[in-house]
Amino acid sequence: MLEISFVKPALPKAGAIVALLAEGAEPAGLLKTLDEAADGAIARALDAAGFKGRKGQSATIWAPAPGLTKLVAIGLGPLDKLTPEGAEAAGGSAWPAISGETAALVATDALDAPVAVRVAMGALLRSYRFDKYRTTEKAEDKPKLAKLSLAAANPTTAKNAFAPFKAVAEGVFLTRDLVSEPPNVLYPAEMAERCKALEALGVQVQILGPKEMKKLGMGALLGVAQGSAQEARLVAMRWKGVTPKKGDKPICFIGKGVTFDTGGISIKPAGGMEDMKWDMGGAGTVIGLMAALAGRKAKADVVGLVGLVENMPSGNAQRPGDVVTSASGQTIEVINTDAEGRLVLADVIHYAITQYDPKWMVDLATLTGAIIIALGHEHAGLFSNDDALAAQVLEAGTTTGEACWRMPLGEAYDKGLKSDIADMKNVGGRPGGSITAAQFIQRFVQGRPWVHLDIAGTAWSSKDTATVPKGATAFGVRLLDRLVADHYEG
Amino acid sequence: MRFAAVTEHFSARAAIGLENGFDAQGQTIALDPSLGDEADGARAWAALAEPSRGLEIDAREWPTDAAVAIATGAALRAWRMPKGAPTCLKPALLVLCRAPEEARRLWPRAAAAVAGNLFARALVAEPANRLTPANFVERMKALAEEGLTVSVLGPQELERRGYGALSAVGRAAPTGPYLVTLEWKGAGQPIAFVGKGLCFDNGGISIKPALGMEAMRADMAGAAACAGAMLALALRGAAGAAVAVLAVAENAIGADAYRPGDVLISASGRSIQVMDTDAEGRLALADALHHAITRHAPRAVVDIATLTGSIVTALGHHRAGLFGNNPTLRDALMTMGEVVGEYLWPMPIGTAHREDLNSDIADILQCAPAGRLLPDACHAAAFLKEFVGETAWAHLDIAGVETAEEDTPLAAKGAPTGFGARLLEGLVEG
Repeated sequence: MLEISFVKPALPKAGAIVALLAEGAEPAGLLKTLDEAADGAIARALDAAGFKGRKGQSATIWAPAPGLTKLVAIGLGPLDKLTPEGAEAAGGSAWPAISGETAALVATDALDAPVAVRVAMGALLRSYRFDKYRTTEKAEDKPKLAKLSLAAANPTTAKNAFAPFKAVAEGVFLTRDLVSEPPNVLYPAEMAERCKALEALGVQVQILGPKEMKKLGMGALLGVAQGSAQEARLVAMRWKGVTPKKGDKPICFIGKGVTFDTGGISIKPAGGMEDMKWDMGGAGTVIGLMAALAGRKAKADVVGLVGLVENMPSGNAQRPGDVVTSASGQTIEVINTDAEGRLVLADVIHYAITQYDPKWMVDLATLTGAIIIALGHEHAGLFSNDDALAAQVLEAGTTTGEACWRMPLGEAYDKGLKSDIADMKNVGGRPGGSITAAQFIQRFVQGRPWVHLDIAGTAWSSKDTATVPKGATAFGVRLLDRLVADHYEG
Repeated sequence: MRFAAVTEHFSARAAIGLENGFDAQGQTIALDPSLGDEADGARAWAALAEPSRGLEIDAREWPTDAAVAIATGAALRAWRMPKGAPTCLKPALLVLCRAPEEARRLWPRAAAAVAGNLFARALVAEPANRLTPANFVERMKALAEEGLTVSVLGPQELERRGYGALSAVGRAAPTGPYLVTLEWKGAGQPIAFVGKGLCFDNGGISIKPALGMEAMRADMAGAAACAGAMLALALRGAAGAAVAVLAVAENAIGADAYRPGDVLISASGRSIQVMDTDAEGRLALADALHHAITRHAPRAVVDIATLTGSIVTALGHHRAGLFGNNPTLRDALMTMGEVVGEYLWPMPIGTAHREDLNSDIADILQCAPAGRLLPDACHAAAFLKEFVGETAWAHLDIAGVETAEEDTPLAAKGAPTGFGARLLEGLVEG
């Protein structure tokens, strides 16, 4: 992980310097010092490059001073319109320009301390790279920058302010690692083992295997797992950041963790099937979120639950037409074995309610292709039976840049799940496919306040954004960390 | 349809306290005492064993406006496919209410909306060999008798004026394309309705699979809804002004058909690269929206179209997609949708949706290149947004709700719903 340090403003002797400039602002602080030392050549060069400090604008000046390789100027737009997310984007967009340097300093000394912290967070988030399986990559193709310095008027204050962000970034990286791991390496038991590592942060971790789950009657989850050589796991993680008072209830996050989804007997087409390694994205996010909350010692009582299975076709696999009995006692006719995520969630949600009696629940799942056809990749689909909770999640999504879009629920959609021989079918047909999936899950929440996030379109990104390199996005970690911070920390 | 205070002899009666069944006087139908709304009236009609013999509904338990709603629901549910309706022995529907005089005063406005809805349904039900673009235009011209001002731009005129998008879509068919304008000259700046009127859509060169293609006769349901709304406004003599601009065409295949890869110059001057000739609705709407906005300076414009399969995957058959650029207009439509039982759901237009339409050689792609899991409904809305400028605008994607996939309160399974006619009509004051 890129090391971040905050230092007293002083011109570096070597490496690159990054200057963040608001639109229409004159050079100040270190940049001004640099410019004066060069008799105004820096300002003239930026002017000649057409650099005006507009949001998203950047310019590079090579060898701006003896010893320095380059100056990278990044535009912030008008200062009065600069948001924390804008500062992160600026920090993130600096990363590709400096990652090949051996040393780099960001001249944030003339900006407010909170801005500097967010710039650091942006650069850190963007610096993520999953390269453990690249054995022949040449050294010069790898990023060299191991430590990024940011100039701040009061480095200690900035460092302390940055600590919780660093903890969240560690949670994000954990999620990205889990989602990026190939499915032969990351199977349910291995993923459960990795949850165990959270104990070092003070998280209580409990792992259930097939025997325990069978005893609890989790026929829906186990039905999905039965075709695979890999055993299923259910992992319960609890972070007690507060001593609960009598009557206090924990809040609960639940993740779908299908470590690989072939579709089972209703097997998927070959094209793009490799993407199904990230069908555990919801669980990956819950695990990273627990790490983030524990890492920053959030003052909240939080339970994270992940249902981990592999969906494989085999002689022992579940068939279309099978009827399974869920832990809640409700029976499900399996029409399509590739609609497996909701079967896993059904039993994990029931477990959450019976074991923890939560105040509310949020589940995350890479659940349906239909949500991508509905919304694309900019929004996760949000379904809820509780307007107040839904509004809080939507707001946290907007402020963290992990946007959600509310989708409808209703009796008319629920009717699509009617089965001729069981309490319900596991699919309701193509029309409104994400909605009927949510209706299915809703049948297991027993009227508790609940939000379901369908992250099939947002868990993975096919292109770089300012703070998220292409690949696993860890969508939801920052959003839900924010939700807890804004509303549930006492 | 009559309102009265005293019962007459009918062989079928609906009232609170009855059980579904038959007694000495004929059929009895139970009303739900908790409702007293359109759905109650519609359910009573749907339960009728012999519609041709008429029905008496006892609505005296409810206030007069509920009696009117019950009558409205029954009248909508009573719509049948036009294949020679049986004659009625009695007045088809008698609604008993406490104040028949008051009901008769309230009824004309409701009846106008019902007539608009049923007009739209009749258009949607017509097969494409009968309802050609030219025939559609003739039926629109007949609306002049109701007090609407009707004007038509034909194929040559559209070509001459540079309506390159609509012209391309309609040119391989034997008749059309046309741009039909229906005006209701009320007070103030008009609200504009823009409808997609593809009398048949075989997909063109990007031809559709055979399975289910017959349903494409309904691809003019947006235009039909606009026409129905305008008819309702005329029948009730609305105070406010409204204008409907209908893009009427048939997307056919032929030697002169437009092709994937073609670049079209739309009426707005923007160039459009065609990717899929079966995404023709947005092309027709682009020119119609431009025409409505530049010619009529509307205070708001609402377009309505059976536009994408994507919206069916997103919202199913119970809600239409609502896109737009104006929260006030969005909220007004959402509210009116709840009132008339034509349910909508807001959907996003994101920056990535527009970026997906960046073209190498033209101002915009008509749709994203073919691929898996494309948010085509959002793409279509992002496309249309390019043609509305700053005007307050909403786009209703009604694919999936123009025909009742199952029995709904107001329409029998398989029947056109007339979705949109009452919704749009309700936006105009007075």
